Amino acid sequence: MTQYILRRFLWAIPVLLGASFLVFWSIRWVPGDPAIAIAGELATPELVEKVRAELGLDQPLPIQYGIYLGRMLRGDMGTSVRSGLPVFEEIRIRLPRTLQLTFFSLLFAAAIGIPIGVLSATRANTWIDALSMIFALLGVSMPIFWLGLMLIVFFALTLPSWLGLNQPILPPTGAGTWQHLVMPTIALAANSMAIQARMTRASMLEVLRSDYIRTARAKGVPEFSVVYNHGLRNALIPIVTVIGLQFGTLLGGAVLTETVFAWPGIGRLLVDSIGYRDYPVIQGTVLVITVGFVLVNILVDVLYAYLDPRIRYT
Amino acid sequence: MRTTRFWIVLLTLMGLALSACVAPMPAVEAPGAPAPAVGPKTLTIASGTDIENMNVHRVTSSPSFSVLEHIYETLFYMNPEGELEPLLAESLEPGEEEHTFILKLRQGVNFSDGTPFNAEAVKMNLEYVLNPDNGSAFAFLISRIQEIEVVDDYTVKLILDSDFAPLAAHLSHGALAMVAPSALEQGNDFLANNAIGTGPYMLERWDRAESVTLVRNPNYWGDPPAIDRLVFKVVQEDGARLVEVEAGTVDVAVRVPPAEAARVDANPNVDVITTPGLRTIYIFFNVTREPFDDVRVRQAINYAVDVEAIVNQLFNGAARVSDAPFAPPIFGYKPNPPYARDLEKARALLAEAGVPEGTSLVLYHPTGRYVQDALVADAVRAQLREVGLEVELRTLEWPQYVPFVRAPAGENQVQFAMLGWSTPTMDADYALYALFHSSEHPPGFNGAFYSNPEVDRLLDEARTTVDPEVRRELYAQAIDIIWEEAPWLFLYSEVQLTAIRTNVEGFIVHPNERLIATYADKK
Amino acid sequence: MTASSGSITARQGGDVALRAPRSNLSMTLRRLSRSPGAILGATLVAMFILIGIFAPVLAPYDFEAADFVKVRQPPSAEHWLGTDELGRDLLSRLLYGARLSLVVGLISVGIGVLIGAPLGLISGYAGGRVDQVIMRLMDILLAFPSILLAILMVAAFGPSLTNAMIAIGVVSIPVYARLMRGSTLSIKEELYIEASRSVGTPSHHILTRHVLPNTIAPIVVQSTLQIAVAIQASAALGFLGLGAPPDVPEWGNMLQKGRTYILSAPHIVVFPGLAIMLVVLGFNLMGDGLRDALDPRMAR
Repeated sequence: MTQYILRRFLWAIPVLLGASFLVFWSIRWVPGDPAIAIAGELATPELVEKVRAELGLDQPLPIQYGIYLGRMLRGDMGTSVRSGLPVFEEIRIRLPRTLQLTFFSLLFAAAIGIPIGVLSATRANTWIDALSMIFALLGVSMPIFWLGLMLIVFFALTLPSWLGLNQPILPPTGAGTWQHLVMPTIALAANSMAIQARMTRASMLEVLRSDYIRTARAKGVPEFSVVYNHGLRNALIPIVTVIGLQFGTLLGGAVLTETVFAWPGIGRLLVDSIGYRDYPVIQGTVLVITVGFVLVNILVDVLYAYLDPRIRYT
Repeated sequence: MRTTRFWIVLLTLMGLALSACVAPMPAVEAPGAPAPAVGPKTLTIASGTDIENMNVHRVTSSPSFSVLEHIYETLFYMNPEGELEPLLAESLEPGEEEHTFILKLRQGVNFSDGTPFNAEAVKMNLEYVLNPDNGSAFAFLISRIQEIEVVDDYTVKLILDSDFAPLAAHLSHGALAMVAPSALEQGNDFLANNAIGTGPYMLERWDRAESVTLVRNPNYWGDPPAIDRLVFKVVQEDGARLVEVEAGTVDVAVRVPPAEAARVDANPNVDVITTPGLRTIYIFFNVTREPFDDVRVRQAINYAVDVEAIVNQLFNGAARVSDAPFAPPIFGYKPNPPYARDLEKARALLAEAGVPEGTSLVLYHPTGRYVQDALVADAVRAQLREVGLEVELRTLEWPQYVPFVRAPAGENQVQFAMLGWSTPTMDADYALYALFHSSEHPPGFNGAFYSNPEVDRLLDEARTTVDPEVRRELYAQAIDIIWEEAPWLFLYSEVQLTAIRTNVEGFIVHPNERLIATYADKK
Repeated sequence: MTASSGSITARQGGDVALRAPRSNLSMTLRRLSRSPGAILGATLVAMFILIGIFAPVLAPYDFEAADFVKVRQPPSAEHWLGTDELGRDLLSRLLYGARLSLVVGLISVGIGVLIGAPLGLISGYAGGRVDQVIMRLMDILLAFPSILLAILMVAAFGPSLTNAMIAIGVVSIPVYARLMRGSTLSIKEELYIEASRSVGTPSHHILTRHVLPNTIAPIVVQSTLQIAVAIQASAALGFLGLGAPPDVPEWGNMLQKGRTYILSAPHIVVFPGLAIMLVVLGFNLMGDGLRDALDPRMAR
C-alpha cells in the first residue's frame, strides 16, 4: 500500500514537469509582448527593449525555461509583469477565495445532488425518477456562465420587480459577505450536482439490488433504515470518488464563474493575466490549479484503493 | 469494517477541504465602509481597476494617477478648464541663454516624512525619470531637457536642446510629480510599495486587488482637505459599482455604462455627472497602402460611417462626435464641418477611385481597452457593408495590438485600425505631433504613415512658438489640412460618466480622467 | 462532465467491444426507439442539424443587417426574439449561430477522434515502450482541467474560432486515446486474434479487420457526448473573448457581448444561452440513449 502511494506520487513528478513545460511554451508562442504592457503604449522602442531585458525575455527560450524551473524549485514563481508583485503573493491573496467558492459549491452540490440521486433510485422508473434525471441532465447541459448570468437577471431584476423592490436581492458581483457567495456557489455547483445525482442513482440501484439489502429487508429492517443506513452508506464509496474528482473540475469551472461574478479568485486572475500577457502569473496560476488537480486525483485514487480491497495495487 | 473506513475517508476529505478554506483570508469587510457616524469623514470611490504600484514615475494608467496624485504633487497643475496653475513651482520663465528655462519653486514645502522639498529634489526626480534604467514610460515628455542645474535652494535651470513651448504643460503630467529624495534613494522596490510625497494625503494601506486607503497629511502645506480618509475600492464590474453607489456603500462610482446612466441619474440619492474626456477614438488608414492611398476612399469611408448614430444610439449620447482630430478642452482646438453621413457621396467617391463593390478590407481593433471598442468596430463594419465594402474584423489583445500597429514600414500589415489617443497635457502639440508629423511614422504613433510637408512645417513652428495666439493659428491651419486629407476615420471623443452620491460636494472629475477629492466634502 | 463521462465510457468500451456490432444494429435501434429520452435527444439533434443546414432559408432577416435605430429591442411580432446591440435580428443570428456550433462540434470531435483513436490503437496494439510514451503524453494533457488547457491554447495561438475548434479537439485527444487503447487491449486478448496471428496475418490486417470494427460503437457514443462538451466549451471560450471576432454570431460570443446590457436588455443573453442548453441537452440525451442501447447491461 505504502509503495502504491509512493509510486502514485512519484508518477506525478514527470506529469507535472511535462505540464509546466507545456504551459511555458504555449504561452510564449504569440508575439504579444509583456514588455509593452509594463512600459506602456507610449514607450520608446529602446525602453521596451530595456524592459524586455529586465524581464529576461531577451534570452533564448530554453534558457528562460531552465531559469524558470530553477526558480520554481526554490519556490519563487517570479514577479507579475502587471503589478510588480511576486506571483506567489498574487496567488496567495486570491487562492483562499477560490477554495472558499469551490468548497461551498461542492458542499452545496452534494447536499442537493445526493438526496436527488437517492430519491431517484428508490423510486426508479417513476415520474419522480424521470423528473429528477431531467433536472440532472439540465444541470450538465447548462453553460455555467450562462446560468450565472441568469441568476443575476433573476436576483437583481426579476425577483426585485415582483417584490416591488428597487434594489437587487443579492449583490450581482464581487466578494466579501455571505450574500456575495450565494449566486456563484449555485452557478458553479449546478454541473457537479447533476453529476453527483446521476452517480448516486446508479450506485444506489446497484446496492439496493444486492443480496445484502434483500436480507435486511427480509429481516424486517424499516425501509428508511434500509435505504439510508445500509444502502447509502455502501453506495457512497463511488460517490465520494466522484466528489473528489469534482473538486478538480470545479477548480477549472471556477475560471468561468469567477469571470461572471467578478469573484476575486485565481480564475479571474488567470483570465485577466491572459489579456495582459502576464506570463509569470499565467504560469503560476495554471500550475497551481494543475498541481491541485493532480494531487486531488492521486488522493482520490489512493483512497479508493484503500476503501475497495478489490483493487490491486499495481 | 468497510463502513468505518468509509467514514474515515469522508472525514479526511472534508477536513482537507475545510483546512483549505480556513487558510488566511483577506479582510472580509469592505474597508472603510463602516465609518463611525461622528468623527472622521471617509469618502469611498469605486474604481474599475487596482493601481499598478506606488511608483508615480513608472505607472501608466489613469486609475493609478488618480490615487497617486493625492499623495504626490506636480510642479504645475492643469486645471479642468485647461489652464496651467503653479503648484510646487512658482514660475517657469525663459532664461538668458538660448534654450534655457528658469524654474522657481514654492518655499516652505516638506515631504510627509519631514524632508524638505527643494531644487535638489526637483533635479533628482527629473533625472530619475530621464534615466532609461528606471523605465519611466513618460520620459519622452521631458526628453528635450539636456541638463538640470541647481542654481540655489529654490531655483532650477533647465537646459533644453531647442525651444519648447509646451514645457510647463508637460511638467503638469502626473508622471513628473515630485517624490521625496529620501524615498528615491531607497530604490524601485521601495517605491513600488511606499509613497512619500508633498500632497494633501498619505498612504495608509494598500490591500492589493481590493482597495487603497489614504489618510490626510497633517502637515500639508496648503489648505487642509475636509475629508479625513479616502478609500479607492476596486470594483471591476460596471454593474457592481452601480449597485454599490446606489446602496450608498460607496460615494463615487466611475465609468457608468451609458445604457444605465439615465436610470441611475433618476435615483434621488445619486447624480450622474458628465465630463468631457481628452481621449479621441479614431480609425487610422494606412495611407501608403491600397486602397487607402487615395484620399477619395478615405473620405468615402468618413461619409459612409454614421458616427452620429453610433454616439446617439449605441452610447445613448455619451460621447462627442469628432469635429477635429482632438477634443475641445485641449488648447488649439478648432471645429470643422463634420463628415455627415451621405451614402450617395460615399458610393460616388468609391466609384471614382475605382474601388469595386465587394472589396474586402481588414479592420484591426483592440478589445476591452476603450469603452465598447469591439462594439464600435462591429458597427463600422455593419455600416461599410452598406456601401459594398466587406470588412473582416480582427481582434487583438492589447499587448499584441500595440507592437502590431507600431510595426515599422515593411513589416507593417495594417490596412486600417482603431486606436484612442489621450492628451493629458491638454495641448495641441501632444495631440497632433506624434500622430501626424512625418518624423513619427511607426514605430512612432503616426500609424497612418501620413506625411505632408506643410503639416510638418506648421507643427514644428508651433512647437517653438511662445505666443499662444500665433500657436493657435498655426494649429488651426494644420487641422484644416488633416481634416481634408482624412488620414483617419474620425470617430468621437470619450465622455466620462461618473455616479456621485448627492451628499458629496466639490468632487472633481478632471477631463484627463483623474478623480480629485482634495476639495470635496460630505454632508 | 468530460472527466467523469470519459472514464465511465472508457470502462464500458471494453464490454461493448466484445459483441459483434453488425448483428446488433437493428436491436440497438429498437432499444433506442423505446427510450423517450433518446427520442427527445435525437429530435433536438435533428432539429439542430437541420437548422444549421437551412439557416439561410429559415432566417427571417439578413443576420448582418444592422439598424442603429432599433438597438436592443425586446421580443416583438416583428423581431420574435428581439434585436441585438446593433439592431440586428436576434433570431436570424441564432439560426446562423447553430451552423457555427455544428461545425465547431464536428470538427473538434473529428480532431479528437482522428488523432486520439489512432494513438490509442497504436498504444494498445504495440504495447511496451511505445505504449508508455504515448500514454505518458496523454497523462500530461489530462493533468489540466480541460477548460484550462483549452483557454491556454487559444490564448497562445490567438483568439479565433478556428483556434478554439483546434484547442477543444486537442483537449479531447486523450479521452479517445484511452478509450481506444482500452478496447484494443481487451480485443487483443481475444482468442480469435491469437488465432489469426498464428496463421501469419499481417498486423495491419488484424487492426483493420478485427480491432477497428469492434471499437466503433464506444467511439460513436463518446463522440456524441463529446459534441455536447465541444459546443459548451466553444461557448465558454467565446464568452471569455477567446473565440470569433465580434461580428460573428457564435452563441458564446453573443452572450459575451450581450452581458453589458444584462440589466436593461436581458433577452440578448437569455436566448443564446437557451439555444446552447437545448442543443447540449439533445446530444447528452442521445449519447446516454446510445450507450444504454449498445450496452443493455447498463440500461435499467
